Amino acid sequence: MLENLKAATFEVFEGMFFLFPEPPLLEQPVFRGMGVRAWVPVSGPRSFCVGLTVPQSLARKMAANFLGLTPSDLTPEQVQDAVQEGANMVAGSFLARERASAAFHLQPPQSRLVDLGSPHFRLSLNHLLLLVEDDGLEVFVEKL
Amino acid sequence: MPYNVLIVDDSATMRALIRKVLAISGFKLGQCFEGANGREGLAILEQHWVDVVLSDIHMPEMDGTAFITALKEHPLWQTIPVVVVSTESREEVLAPFRRLGVAGYIRKPFRPETIRRQLSTLLGEAGTPDAGELEGCDF
Repeated sequence: MLENLKAATFEVFEGMFFLFPEPPLLEQPVFRGMGVRAWVPVSGPRSFCVGLTVPQSLARKMAANFLGLTPSDLTPEQVQDAVQEGANMVAGSFLARERASAAFHLQPPQSRLVDLGSPHFRLSLNHLLLLVEDDGLEVFVEKL
Repeated sequence: MPYNVLIVDDSATMRALIRKVLAISGFKLGQCFEGANGREGLAILEQHWVDVVLSDIHMPEMDGTAFITALKEHPLWQTIPVVVVSTESREEVLAPFRRLGVAGYIRKPFRPETIRRQLSTLLGEAGTPDAGELEGCDF
């Protein structure tokens, strides 16, 4: 499953965001400051979600590359929406790679800002950790 | 002749990307309308002439299935070509859209030229240098 998640992530980041994740590191990438967590609920025989957690710096790179804008021209809504769309594409690619039946339905993506430095912040238990340039990228699948 | 395009997608960022791709790709773009869901798409069709529709599937309020069904049942709109642009690539999910008469499918993530090629072929501009190959188009 994680191999399919990884392949889906690489496809989306390289193809739509022109960013190149590196394979998982032995050491956990650094997540600090504010960030964006976006996820796509999947309903069906089992309910789960597929999502991304990224620091703001990576979120801004994603949005800038996606829209062809300079980071200073981006609105906070565009930044959050770009991460949501990234999660949406990763989820779609992941389900196809898993050969999930049509009984599994992708729901509209959701997102929220998160404080990555907060003691209350927890990375998901079932995830991939990648590095994109100097930023951490978490890709996760969680039960709902 | 410039073509009017309607983009229906709940992501404003995705709509902006598609609009930008259309604008810079050499596609003869007239007016470009945007709706955040099927309901908004139908409201735009009530008001404006549209030559081709690009629609997402998964949207709140009115999803792509309901939107395209309504469009295909409407006497004036049923001949407008519809291209589904979606993260979905599962055959079981896409088959009902084919039965509805959808003209094409573009999977996200896509390459910018895929959109222009699809539209050029659908709208009869197949004479462009690289319009022969429908990369990423499953229909």
